[in-house]
Amino acid sequence: MAATLTLKKLFFRVITCFILLVIIMTLCCFVGTQKVSFRNILSGPSDTPGENIDYEIFFGVRLPRVILAALVGAALACSGVVLQAILRNPLADPYILGISSGAGLGVIIAVLSGMTWSFWAGSPIAVFAFAGALITVWLVWCIGHLAGKSQVISLLLAGVVVNAFFSAVIMFLTSIAKSQQVYSTIFWLMGNITEKNIPVLWISASFIFAGIFGLFSLSHKLNILTFGEEEAKGLGVDTAKTKITAFGFAAFITAIAVSLSGLVGFVGLIIPHGVRMVLGPDHRQLLPVSAIIGSAFLVVADTLARIVVAPAQLPVGVITAITGGPFFLILLAKYTKKVSWLK
Amino acid sequence: MNSIIEVENLNFSYSTRTILKDLSFNVMQGTFLAIAGPNGAGKTTLLNLLCGLLRPKAGSIKIDAAYVESYSIKNLAQKVAVVRQEFVPVFDFTVTEVVSMARAPYLGTFGFETKADKKFVKESLEVTDTAQFATRSLKELSGGERQLVFIARALAQNTPILLLDEPTSFLDLKHQVGIYDLLKSAQIEKGKTILAVTHDINLAIQYCDQALLLGADNSYRYGHAEGIFSSQQIEKVFGVRTFTGKVGLKKFFLPLGKFAKDNKTISGESAD
Repeated sequence: MAATLTLKKLFFRVITCFILLVIIMTLCCFVGTQKVSFRNILSGPSDTPGENIDYEIFFGVRLPRVILAALVGAALACSGVVLQAILRNPLADPYILGISSGAGLGVIIAVLSGMTWSFWAGSPIAVFAFAGALITVWLVWCIGHLAGKSQVISLLLAGVVVNAFFSAVIMFLTSIAKSQQVYSTIFWLMGNITEKNIPVLWISASFIFAGIFGLFSLSHKLNILTFGEEEAKGLGVDTAKTKITAFGFAAFITAIAVSLSGLVGFVGLIIPHGVRMVLGPDHRQLLPVSAIIGSAFLVVADTLARIVVAPAQLPVGVITAITGGPFFLILLAKYTKKVSWLK
Repeated sequence: MNSIIEVENLNFSYSTRTILKDLSFNVMQGTFLAIAGPNGAGKTTLLNLLCGLLRPKAGSIKIDAAYVESYSIKNLAQKVAVVRQEFVPVFDFTVTEVVSMARAPYLGTFGFETKADKKFVKESLEVTDTAQFATRSLKELSGGERQLVFIARALAQNTPILLLDEPTSFLDLKHQVGIYDLLKSAQIEKGKTILAVTHDINLAIQYCDQALLLGADNSYRYGHAEGIFSSQQIEKVFGVRTFTGKVGLKKFFLPLGKFAKDNKTISGESAD
């Protein structure tokens, strides 16, 4: 009988990928304009600050940034996996469908309105980002329903329009903002990973892990949902409940990713495709492996962003878009070649 | 023997168009029932009502003595398996993966198959002769092979009731006969109750016990397949004149269209 996925096999693969990720993250911490020596890092922090500068750069500056990139990569890749499954569209991605800009608009509104309240780890930025992402998911879903069978293209077009609309509103808001805020906002919009403090990383990490874990518990149902609603119901899947929960989790982790790093595109498209090509479409495996590979991808992309124009830095979104754009076009050609344009 | 399906005064309509009107019939456990009728007579609608996808406007359906509405989606999927017309899924799932999905109504939270689940999958792959392409993607199979995979999936679901929507409509003769043989053996060996929507009256007469003939005017006839299919009924419901012959045990029908070569040479209704 054919090799089916077992828990043991999945565990082994996830651990292997995770070890790979840790190695990549460590290596990327060593890369940068300032050379850090391995021995100095091992010698630990010095008693007087500023003495062991290598240690401070490694643990204080680079490691948090690398962890942040890993978190964002995992969240966006998983979001892509889930959107592709539920919308039954291999070209879905939180960025392409405008969900990232929805969350981004939420962030901009929160930042520009200058709200500073917070409750139970919920800052206005995160709450507004989540609201923006949820509203956009809902919009895209409605459009997907209207689009019916010709989904592949019309859903993408809808995403483009939603994206353009939100971007315009964001541009409008930034242009009436104080000039001081504008530079950082624009950099953020292009998808920018910067150093964040440790508590923010911990909180975001636990939220993103929780979201991914929630999605993982739905993953065998996502397999069945790719066959369409009728089939899924026939196989005992509560389609409405599963879709709403999965969309909720996807919007949640996308919102966190966006509030951390702005609009980083195409991770949710490239990574699930690559993983599917190698390991097949079973979501019980696709989801966790995509999370890890997505992390590794964004860590490497961000390291490139740090060193390509050093000592200046690029927004990481520039790197992902430059690699992701052509990739998207190739996929688009592949999935629409059955459509005859000349008819 | 009990009635496993009880349909009583079933009514269904899409906005203004009435599809099913006062339909009542009981299906005994272990029956092979053919559902026939012209396009738009409500055959697929009836299947969707039976598997809980649609709700009746009036009347009731009982599966295993309980109303369809009273089942959860998961529990109903343990009673009824549905085979729709074959299609190519969006992603490249292998045959084994597709058949394994049948075990979904029995799985725990994280959805990993147990040994028992795998046994059901293996058995249905072997019974349907699809084990030979177990590792291949559904995209690489022919329409007939794909349909077999979906039947394998329905068998792995291990339900007492099997619903099929035109299981043989786009298939070559070999696959048509193969699928009916397969269904018949599931009926005999596993005691499954099978309801198949079909356009092939000759195959239905050879394989099915009961027949439900739905007319476009919301009329219906239900009974033994042999009694329900007659050239008068076929002419009435489909508007097609047929020649009825009998060589072995069962009748067969030859449709005689206006330009059919035997239209003039056969007067029809010879052996009926």
